[in-house]
Amino acid sequence: MFSNSTMRNILTISKREVTRLRTRFRGRSRVLILVGMILAGLLSYFVSQQGFVLSRQFYTVGVGPGVPIVADARFVALAVDGASGHALLEQGVIDVYLDGSEVAWRKDERRSRCAAGALRQYLETQELTRIANEYDMDRAFPLRVEVHHVEVPEGHGAAAHPDISVWDLLDSGPESAGAGETATSSGIASSTVLKQLDSLESSGRRLPEFKAEFVSDEEVIIPSLMDPPVPLAQVLLAFFYVVPIFFISIFFTSSFMEEKVNRKLVVLLSTPVTPFQIIVGKMLPYIVYSLVSITVITLLLGGHIPLALAIFVPVTLFIFSIYLMVALLYRTFKDQTFFSLLAVSVITVYLVFPSMFSGITDISHVSPLHLAIQMYKGEAFGLSEYLLSTTPMYLVFGVGLFVGTRVFNEEYLMGFRPLCQKLADALNLTINRSHLHLSVFLLGLFVIPAVFMVQLASIALAFNLPMPQALGAVLVVSVIVEEIAKSAGIAVLLQNGVVRSTRQVLTLSVVAALGFFAGEKLLLYIALKVISDTMFTAAVFGGGFLVLPLLAHCFFTSLVCLTTARFGVRRYPLSVLAGSVLHGLYNLAVVGVLS
Amino acid sequence: MSRFVAMVRRELRSVTQEKTIVLAVVIQLLVASFSSVIVTGLMAFYDPDSIGQTTRMTVTVGLVDHSGGPLAGILRDARLKVKQLPDAESAEAAFHAGQVDAVAFLPEESGGVVNMKLMLPELDSKATVITMVLKEPLKRYETFLRGQNGVEMQYASLRARADSSYEFLYSLILPMLMFFPALLAGSIVIDTISEELENKTLDTLRSAPVSLNQILGAKVCAAVVTVLVQCSAWTLLLRLNNLRIENLGLVLILSLAVGTMVSIGAAAASLYFKDRERAQFAYSIVLVVAVGLSYLVQPSPFSLMAGLATGSHVTGVVDVSLYLLPLVLLGAAFFHWSERLLTARTAG
Repeated sequence: MFSNSTMRNILTISKREVTRLRTRFRGRSRVLILVGMILAGLLSYFVSQQGFVLSRQFYTVGVGPGVPIVADARFVALAVDGASGHALLEQGVIDVYLDGSEVAWRKDERRSRCAAGALRQYLETQELTRIANEYDMDRAFPLRVEVHHVEVPEGHGAAAHPDISVWDLLDSGPESAGAGETATSSGIASSTVLKQLDSLESSGRRLPEFKAEFVSDEEVIIPSLMDPPVPLAQVLLAFFYVVPIFFISIFFTSSFMEEKVNRKLVVLLSTPVTPFQIIVGKMLPYIVYSLVSITVITLLLGGHIPLALAIFVPVTLFIFSIYLMVALLYRTFKDQTFFSLLAVSVITVYLVFPSMFSGITDISHVSPLHLAIQMYKGEAFGLSEYLLSTTPMYLVFGVGLFVGTRVFNEEYLMGFRPLCQKLADALNLTINRSHLHLSVFLLGLFVIPAVFMVQLASIALAFNLPMPQALGAVLVVSVIVEEIAKSAGIAVLLQNGVVRSTRQVLTLSVVAALGFFAGEKLLLYIALKVISDTMFTAAVFGGGFLVLPLLAHCFFTSLVCLTTARFGVRRYPLSVLAGSVLHGLYNLAVVGVLS
Repeated sequence: MSRFVAMVRRELRSVTQEKTIVLAVVIQLLVASFSSVIVTGLMAFYDPDSIGQTTRMTVTVGLVDHSGGPLAGILRDARLKVKQLPDAESAEAAFHAGQVDAVAFLPEESGGVVNMKLMLPELDSKATVITMVLKEPLKRYETFLRGQNGVEMQYASLRARADSSYEFLYSLILPMLMFFPALLAGSIVIDTISEELENKTLDTLRSAPVSLNQILGAKVCAAVVTVLVQCSAWTLLLRLNNLRIENLGLVLILSLAVGTMVSIGAAAASLYFKDRERAQFAYSIVLVVAVGLSYLVQPSPFSLMAGLATGSHVTGVVDVSLYLLPLVLLGAAFFHWSERLLTARTAG
């Protein structure tokens, strides 16, 4: 793919990067860092062994005479005698009072109510353990629920007769559930009971087995032992895989900063090494470190290594391309800190937020972590699912590299300008003057992952508002973001005097809108392909549904760009606002018409 | 003293000037909102009623009950719609016609284990919701069956409901919001100190009639002021969101104490390592270790803050003052040895 000299240059720069890192950490500082890392590892292992409970000693429970003490990490237990229990409860010294079979709490106070609820959970678990020990399985857990998932044909009512009868799927038809069969199926079920009891006893004291945390696939449910599918696993998974990469990325951005400060980059640029080679060369060692950490983690968790790499390579590339942006954009040390933190939170939101809903709603398909979760669950996933979540990652990486190489010059890297201007400069440098239309089209197309991230973040932010306002806020924000995404490139061109005539602005607006529209629809198409095909896809991509939105997109973008051309780039925010208002009204009209 | 205040103001100005502090606030808002989404999500799992309310989905269960038990009544008590069906064939038809969301089949009573069969749609999300909604009534039915077997469950009729969102809000979200500014403060301190060290402006500063400790003190002070501002803003915002915080003064003192400790530690790291890269990395690692260690402390900063904010009677002034003690020690040690830290040779 690359010529020999390119490869050689990249490797030389990588080697230099490794040497730099090694000289940084030698002698006493290496020892200190190593000790710190080992300590951190040991501590997290110790804490996870001891049991991690979030709300440790959160409530105070008064325990009456003769009642076994409450051994739950959430409670501080005080032994009180019968007479003073209620008095202490009234004074608020204890949150809940347990005396024999009686539990008392202050009904008018949230803390006390919640304490009682937590105590009930604890007591329930104790009771389940007790009856499991005292009675035989079939008496203690007399209800077994066999769950069967049956495909429902789309568009109820229109249901043609399925090839297989539902009751064929149930191993024994309802009529034949005789005594003989009951015995065998209860034999299987008993082992399920034992397994679920095990996880019940271990929960609360220590982190349950990693795999056991996933949404239960148990075919047989014991209602009292059923665990809610807590998305803890998703968070843990993200934590295990992504956090080491965050640590590694500190060195990547620092390396850029250092060479910016001592002007080594300028020297490098004056040699026959291309910006592309510098960027890839600097990135390469850190990507390799990340891949090593991914492999190690997969080994530790017992996953499938090639599959894990296939899932997390795009994630790594994505993270590093974001950090490349950070490295190119920041001007001071403080910038670097805040940008890095912003990058961390944006990446976490993008990766973790959708995957929290793995198995609950289909938004989870957006995140590659969802694939990892499926991998650890032992579920298969198709190529289209893989592409849906990883294509944006590869895209971001490609765009990041491209933009990086375009802006990689002394003036841009060393200049201290306001942030907006810095972004505008980057756009200006990225757009290829000799292929103006193509550049603007591709810009519209490739900006979509960024738009999508901002919209996701806005959804998370809007969660703080009450429902109708939240919905409104998300709609407003997404319209504004879309309008900016489509018109920003043209505004920059206007600012730099590259385009002047109204005709040029108009054609470019249409091209930008086309690019954005194509990207948006492409993403939607893949999404629908993965989530549910047939009718819906046909409806969305049927003639009428395509022409009108495309025209609308072109119209709004033209409006924004033309007003910017007319009233100057300084008024660009106002132009965006005007376009967004119309776009918003159009959206409302469409929704109104449809409903 | 006025010189010191002037230096603190200079530091603060450099933080606010670049508007990057706006980014910091956005980050915290993101983190908090993100967590609240998680909490809401979690609540839906723990609390089937709330899932019913938020989705506005009424679950209709087709019931083929050959046992003559009380299941239909229990399901109706849990505000589910029940459609009694005579046999499997009609249940199947109703399921495919979309008249019922799930089908439960109960075999004839045989005295022993009841093997119920539950038919759910394939769609993951819908099946999850239905399972969660069915959980409580099924548990009640299970208790009934146990009773028939002569197994008595104590506390089964207890009506208290666990509220995971309450615990989450106070023991995770609130401490996270209140300690996050401390993390930022540490980073700011590292940035300002290593920037001066790498640009060699610290030497220029020191030729003015100010001592090293005054310079460092001003930097730490400025960082702590940002902590105070952010934490106050958070408590105000939380108050607007109807989250009550008891012992507000102590909560703020605790977050300030943690912020100051982190800032001093960060200052020590940047003095020792003298470049941002190593200082930041060491800082991150030490922070991870410190968070791990603090979990082993009783009460840990997280649980102390949760206790204070919920008005627990077990925590109070004494615990907070216990946190001030290491702060004083750390501060004294740092300012005593600051010169030596600065002159310490680090390889590289």
